[in-house]
Amino acid sequence: MTATVTTPGPRRVRFPGKRAVLPWLFLAPALLLALVFKFLPMGKGVWLSFFDVRPFLGDKWVGLDNYTRVLSDHRFQDAIGHTLLLGLGMSLGGIVVGFALALLLEGQARSLKIIRTAVFLPVVTATAVVGEMWRLMYYPTSDGLINSGLGLLGLGPVPYLDNPDTALWATMAMGIWMLAPYNMVIILAGLAGVDRSLYEAAAMDGVSLWQRLRHITLPAIRPALGIVLTLAAIRGLRVFTEVYVLTGGGPAGSTDVWMTRAYTLGFTRNDIGGASAASVVLLCVTLLLTVTVNYLRKRGDAR
Amino acid sequence: MRLRRARPLAAALAVSGLLFGTAACGSGSGSARAGDPNTLEVWTRSDPESAQTYDRVFAAFTKKTGIKIDYQPVMNFDQQLQSRASTKDLPDVMINDTALMGSYQAQGLLKPIAPASIAGHDEITAKSWASTVGRDGRHYGIPYSRQAMTLFVRKDWREKLGLPQPKTWQDTLALAKAFATRDPDGDGKKDTYGMVVPGSAQNGYVAWWGASWLWQGGVRILEQDGSGYRPAMDSPAALRTVTWMKDNLFCGDNGVIQPSALTSVTANTTNFQDGNAGMYLTGPYNISTFDKALGKDKYEVLPAPSGPAGNNDVLADGENIYFGAKTGKAKLEQTLAAFLISPEGQTLAMTGDHQPVVRIPVNSTLDAAEVRHDPRWSVVQKAYETASVQFPNAPDFAPIKQDTADALNAIFTYCGSDVRSGLKELNDTLAGDLKDQELLK
Repeated sequence: MTATVTTPGPRRVRFPGKRAVLPWLFLAPALLLALVFKFLPMGKGVWLSFFDVRPFLGDKWVGLDNYTRVLSDHRFQDAIGHTLLLGLGMSLGGIVVGFALALLLEGQARSLKIIRTAVFLPVVTATAVVGEMWRLMYYPTSDGLINSGLGLLGLGPVPYLDNPDTALWATMAMGIWMLAPYNMVIILAGLAGVDRSLYEAAAMDGVSLWQRLRHITLPAIRPALGIVLTLAAIRGLRVFTEVYVLTGGGPAGSTDVWMTRAYTLGFTRNDIGGASAASVVLLCVTLLLTVTVNYLRKRGDAR
Repeated sequence: MRLRRARPLAAALAVSGLLFGTAACGSGSGSARAGDPNTLEVWTRSDPESAQTYDRVFAAFTKKTGIKIDYQPVMNFDQQLQSRASTKDLPDVMINDTALMGSYQAQGLLKPIAPASIAGHDEITAKSWASTVGRDGRHYGIPYSRQAMTLFVRKDWREKLGLPQPKTWQDTLALAKAFATRDPDGDGKKDTYGMVVPGSAQNGYVAWWGASWLWQGGVRILEQDGSGYRPAMDSPAALRTVTWMKDNLFCGDNGVIQPSALTSVTANTTNFQDGNAGMYLTGPYNISTFDKALGKDKYEVLPAPSGPAGNNDVLADGENIYFGAKTGKAKLEQTLAAFLISPEGQTLAMTGDHQPVVRIPVNSTLDAAEVRHDPRWSVVQKAYETASVQFPNAPDFAPIKQDTADALNAIFTYCGSDVRSGLKELNDTLAGDLKDQELLK
């Protein structure tokens, strides 16, 4: 009987194989770009939020003062309310209108392609241009496009942007107009994956349009809706250009959102520390919201 | 097989190419030329139109001295400047608004200047030099251009309606109402407005435009008190003036001011040049625009009307030449500044086919109307010399202007609001701003 003893050979150091390195190599350009243009500035922003920023006199450590100042400023508090309202309204409005557009424009016909392209135009137009265009459309006399339409019905003219009661809603309408076509494209992609035979079966069973939407279409496009909702929530919270061009945050701060306040603090009042703190707060809220939306989406998927 | 082997190589090349590109991008704008000891990097807050005038001025300077200029006209000046400040790499020379000097000084962006070190410094008046003294008593800018607001009025409309040139607030209001209601353009429609107002709080516009009305009402936003300041927006004069503005301009008869005033900034307040508003209290840089849009004969340039305080003071401002902190090209910078304030440099900047970048010359040997062969400029020069008030240059005025604008815009928006409590709140906010700057008395 011979005992077989397996002697362990010299321990080999395992170098990552070519197979493991290659994906990282391909990822490297994107990671490098993200690091230089996204994460380093972001880190710098977080760092600056704890300072009274004076590049040539030396930054002064102020701890959480900038945060306290920003969060206790009543204009920032109002801006939170406006941001949430605008973000929510634009997100939901954009999804509902985008969904409706997707249902209307679904199909293969050539004419639909042209209409879809036309409907998509607001997404590729610069926000500043859209803002100026809507400023003209909202012009508060009968010369304005929307008011001239109201005039035909014997109504108006309405000072959409110059009345603090209507300015935020008017901004929201423009935001929905810009967001909806973007959502439409994602939802259209989702709709393309819906099993047609389910519609046919539903038609044979004689179900109503609403039942078809609720029990076939909506469950089928749930992943697309999840993406749209996450993107819309992020876009809604960091809304800036629309408001800045359309109303500048006015009148009387009635359309001031978190980003316009941060911009004013940073570049009109030259308070870079305060503006950084405001931006960090927005980053935290956006992260929180994104994680929540994703959690709810996954829970919904699992069910 | 060959293709597969080539992949890692291609990826490595892509990464190194990207690294190289990133490093090249990160080396700073114009650094190749700005690093040259005989080149000055100069920034001005200019649109493409006025940048062409600067191009001409700097070309003449280079021809004369051999010093090269790396010129950058920057539209969003403050944003770009803050970005460059964060990298501690400022332009050598900057030309920007006088009212920003306190803000720049508070951030340590500027090099102090000894007026005697600038050739021709004695040709600048003491009044202009006084406007570049910082909080510590030292000069932080060299006056370059000055201007004061004047009232632009549609002469053809006024004469058609048979009304006199406005001399008082009441005349102005009556003229504005007539422009809005008596169809001065004769098209049979009610589509004209009395006065143009950039009344948005964005970037402090309503405070900038409204300052002249405040001065004429005997109001000061801040009052100097020894070495400090105290806010003065809760004075009886402020209450009277702001109430008058609110009741008569913003909440009065429809049409006295253009309909979108509360959200308008100067860039989108084009009613005067579009030909549907009759008056505009604004700076003289608009003269070339109005000449092109309306024609010289259609409008007149008048001194601002007198307010209840009995004066017709207007807001004066302008541009200074600033030297960026910690650059080692003092001699070159001084040579450029001396050229810019000389009769030759100022004349070049006041004339030409494009928008002039010097409005009222700071060089006292020059006369704006004579240089331009245009008597309208004497109205502006007289307003600057005899009836003008500037925003204080020593404190950081940026937050003061913004807070004043926020408060005025809110008061003018809510017609039912209580002006007294609005101004009291503003005064408290201004006190807080001054306290932050350790200047509250």
